[in-house]
Parts: sequence; C-alpha cells; structure tokens
Amino acid sequence: MKKRLIAATLLFGMLIPMLLMSGCGKKEVLKLYLPGEYLGDGVISGFEKAYNCKVIIENFDSNEMMYTKISAGDSYDVLIPSDYMIERLLKEDQLQKLDKSLITNIGNLAPEVTNLSFDPDNSYSVPYFWGNVGIVYTKNRVDLADLEKDGFGIFLNEKYKGNIYVYDSERDMFMCAFKTLGYSCNTENEDEIQEAYDWLVKIGKTMSPVYVTDEIIDNMLHEYEDLGIMYSGDAAYIISENPNLGYFVPESGTNRWFDAMVIPKNAANPELANKFINYMCTEKAARLNTQGVGYASPVASILKEMTSEDGDYFENEAYYPRTNANDELFHDSEYLRKRLSELWIKVKAASE
Amino acid sequence: MKSFRKMTYPYVVWISFIVVAPMFLILLYAFTKEGNAVMDFVFTLDNFKKFFVDSVFIDVLLRSLRVALVTTVLCILIGYPAGYFIAKSSEGVKMRWVLLITFPTWINMLVRTYAWVGILQDDGIVNNILSIIGVRSITLLHTEFAVILGMVYNFLPFMILQIYTALTKMDNSLLEAAADLGADRVRSFLKVTLPLSLPGVLSGITLVFLPAVSSFFIPKLLGGGQYVMVGNLIESQFLTSGDWNFGSAISLIMVIIIMISLYLTKKVDKTELTERRAN
Repeated sequence: MKKRLIAATLLFGMLIPMLLMSGCGKKEVLKLYLPGEYLGDGVISGFEKAYNCKVIIENFDSNEMMYTKISAGDSYDVLIPSDYMIERLLKEDQLQKLDKSLITNIGNLAPEVTNLSFDPDNSYSVPYFWGNVGIVYTKNRVDLADLEKDGFGIFLNEKYKGNIYVYDSERDMFMCAFKTLGYSCNTENEDEIQEAYDWLVKIGKTMSPVYVTDEIIDNMLHEYEDLGIMYSGDAAYIISENPNLGYFVPESGTNRWFDAMVIPKNAANPELANKFINYMCTEKAARLNTQGVGYASPVASILKEMTSEDGDYFENEAYYPRTNANDELFHDSEYLRKRLSELWIKVKAASE
Repeated sequence: MKSFRKMTYPYVVWISFIVVAPMFLILLYAFTKEGNAVMDFVFTLDNFKKFFVDSVFIDVLLRSLRVALVTTVLCILIGYPAGYFIAKSSEGVKMRWVLLITFPTWINMLVRTYAWVGILQDDGIVNNILSIIGVRSITLLHTEFAVILGMVYNFLPFMILQIYTALTKMDNSLLEAAADLGADRVRSFLKVTLPLSLPGVLSGITLVFLPAVSSFFIPKLLGGGQYVMVGNLIESQFLTSGDWNFGSAISLIMVIIIMISLYLTKKVDKTELTERRAN
C-alpha cells in the first residue's frame, strides 16, 4: 500500500510540471523548411519579434530530400524549394494559393524574378534567392582567354589537369555538358544524353578532377585548385573575401535558377506563413538576408544597393545574375532525373 | 526456468520489427520492379543483371573488397603487436592502455574522420610541418592512401581489443609448460600463444572487414566524390536516384558477400579448434 502511494505521488509530481509547461508557450509557431546555410543573421529573430511568434527551422540537403519528406506527410508552413521542384509540387497539387492581401510587399520584387514560367502570375510562390551556375577561377593561374575560348570546355584543357573541382551534382554537371555541346539542359534525347555522358567520363578519365560538394566553397577560397563549378551566390561570397578569385559564365549558356517560398497544402498556420513571406519582401529583411548569405536578392532596391559603390557586392561579377538568351531554367522531369543520376554514379566510378 | 522464457517474447517481437521486417523488405525490393496500377510488384531479376553486366559496378565491388582487405591486413599487422604488448603489461598499466584505445571511440566516428580532412588537406597540419622542413607540399587528401588511413584509424581499436581479450584469457602456465619442455620463446609463441589468440584475430577480422567493406562516409570524405565504394553506390541509389529496387539488390549482394566471409571465418575457427583437440 505504502509503495503504491509513493508511486502515485511520484507520478503526480511528474504530471504537474508537464501540465504547467503545456500551459505556457501559447505563442504562434511557424515551421520553416529550407536549404542549409540559407538565412542571414537577424532575419528570423526580427520576424519573431515583430509578430510575437516562434520559428522552427529545419534544413534539407537537396530538393529531392525535401520532396521525400513532404510526400511522407510531414507538415511545414513555408518551404523554399527550387523552380523545377515547385513545378513538380504544383503538378501534384501539393501547394496552396498565397493570400495576396497579406503579401503587400510583393511590389518590391525585381522584374527579373516575377512571373516566371513555373508560376506565371506568382499565385503560389515568391522568390527568395536567385542565381546561376558558373566557373570560379584563380585569376593568377587561369587565363581568362582560355575561359572565353572554351567555356565549360576548359574542364578538358590539359593545362589545368589535376587542378580542377567538379561539383558532385548530376543536374549541374550534365547541364555544363549539354550547354557545351550545344543542347538544351532539359533534353531527353538519348543520343544527346549519351554524348554528354561521354564528355563527363572523359573529364574523369583524363583530367584527374576531385568531385566535391560544399567543400568547394572553402577550398576555392583558399585557392587549393585552379578552378571549379560553383553557384553564383557562393562565388559572390568568396570573391568578396578573396580578390584573386573570379567568376565566369560561358556564352554558350548556363542554368538560371530561382528558389522561392511556397506554402504547402497541409500547413498548420497558413496566415502566419503569408505574413512571413511578406516580411521577407521588406527591404530590411532582404538586406540582412543577402548580406549574410551572398545570393542575389529578389528585391529590386536591395539589388541596386548591393551593387552600388557602397554596397557589399560592388563590382562583384558573381552577385547579379546576368540575362542571356542561352540560359535556361530546369524543368521537372522524373525521367531525366533518374537517368542522369543513374549515369552520374557511373561517371564517378569510372574516374581515375 | 520455464517462467523466464516468457520474458523473451518482447525481444522476439522487437527483433522481428527491427531486423526481420527490414530484411524482408530488402528482399522484396531486390527481386521486384514497380508494376502497373493493378499489381504493385512485378518479379524480376533485372536489378541483379544490371549490377553484374556493367563492368563499372563490378569495378566498384572489387575496389571495395580490395580496400577492406588491405585495411584488415594492416589492422592485424598493427593490432597484433599492440594487443600482445598490452596483454603482457602489468595490471594497472593494462587498464590505462585499454582506456587510451577506447577513448577515441567515445567521440563520433564522423567527427573523427572530419578531423583527418583537416590534417591531410593541402594546407593541413601534415603539409604545414613538411613545409617547415622544406619539403614541397604533397596531395594527401582525396587519395586511396587517405581512405585506407581513415579506415585503419577508425577500425583499429576493434582489432586491438579483440586480440588483447583473447591473449589475457590465455593461461600463462601453458607457456611455462612449453618452456619446461624445452621450447624457446619463438617456438612457444608460434605453438602456444599464436594458436590460442587466433579466435580473437578472427573476430577482429569480422569486426574490421565488415564495416570497412560497406563504409560510405570514409571514402566520401577522404577519397572525394570520385572514390566510389559499394556503400556509396547503395547510398546514391536510395538518396539521389530513388531507385530503391536496384539499391536493395546491391544491398542483398553485399549481405551475401558478408555471409560468405562470416562462414569462412567460422570455418577457419572450427578447423583450428578441432585440430588443436586432435593434437
């Protein structure tokens, strides 16, 4: 009997604080799911203060990883996927319409980032960052004339053998191959895919490249190798740290991409999600974000400010993505995604 | 005794959920492909054919086996003397050595492997020291050397501890008897110590070879993305290509290889034992 009494008291003792804890914390919660290292300092705390809420942040490594989680039924309020993934989520009816009455700052956006092919009138998405893919190189060891002559073909230039980084992502490397060979980066033509595959295998077999992912940012900053493939925003960041680095985008074209904020159908707090998207379009939040991360802001005035003489990215060739008729967006293609990733592991395994 | 048997039931349920069910799923995925809307699974052997027809995949398999083998041999060569030395030390010193060897394993393996990236990279510790002596910097990271170094470093404690345990369990009076019968130190080591420590070496081999052959983050971090081993192949099938069927087939092939190697080590163990008894 006595034992039971003790047990009951203990149990009760455990319950009371639990009840108390559930009593407080009535603050609203926003669940945000975005790529890693993609938030400027002070952006989230500013939102939390302004709207008296709490933001829970989760990161993903790739759009595909995010897709797997969303498809499994996990609920988030705001997602920040890339253009082609938004296309896919829209196709599968996984997103809800934005409440434009809450997103009053949408007028701040630059004309280049609105009304894009994957969401023609921005009813479902508001851009977060944008950029392209290019070559980062050390100015003293790489001849700009070689880059202008070869484009992405510089990866087969014997002069740089053993000193190149290949970005470990099938999407981006096959894009380089397709563009160099003069094809669309969304091609599903088997001959063109085969030709691109051979081009990549040749790099692996003859140029002894190192395949890296995000280490490339640090490694190029320290100039371990001569050149490598990089996203414009990462390049903008390391160029601002090391003036001996340059960024080059070949005339033959590249991939232009947009990452945008969307609200999934099963969001627990869509109203707060709309408010968050609106907040991200304010000059203050956009400035903090682009200064901290290095990618091009979608807000027109901030783009101007950053590239002006007092801006953080003055004369930084990687910051402001160019407009070129040869540049393309990726489109959602389940077939191409599978085919390229099947071939990519073979490209890597065949490398020496 | 009978009343205790019931206590194993939760364990049986647990095992069937955690071990049997996933194995069954791997088996199911490996022999099927996505079917049509009426039938979800279609039996096929294509996943295996895909693996064995392509020389690229066979090369990856051979590379994994080679790296795991070299790692195991190096672990024995370093681990045996180390285990022997510790087992022969005095009681207090022994415990200190064992503590020192297990100490690194308290830190996560991934973190320790990252540390090697810092040590080996172009302006890392090793190259800095070399440049002080005036030696030109050498590429260490993203080479096969780095991968094997990382594996030996990570798996060596398992080998040392196995050998050490086997040697401490050994009855010292056997050595005295051998000496009484006129065996010199080399002979008594070869005839007494070595055979008695063999079970330890064998379980050490299992503990080193198996994780080495299926490791995927050590080659990824220290070998670079181009250093593909079977583990990386499986990882990429599940995480990037989304071809779970092919991934499961490769996993199954690995399971079979591992089972064969387990069987072989068990067999060596048994013949050793029976031979010894016969003697």
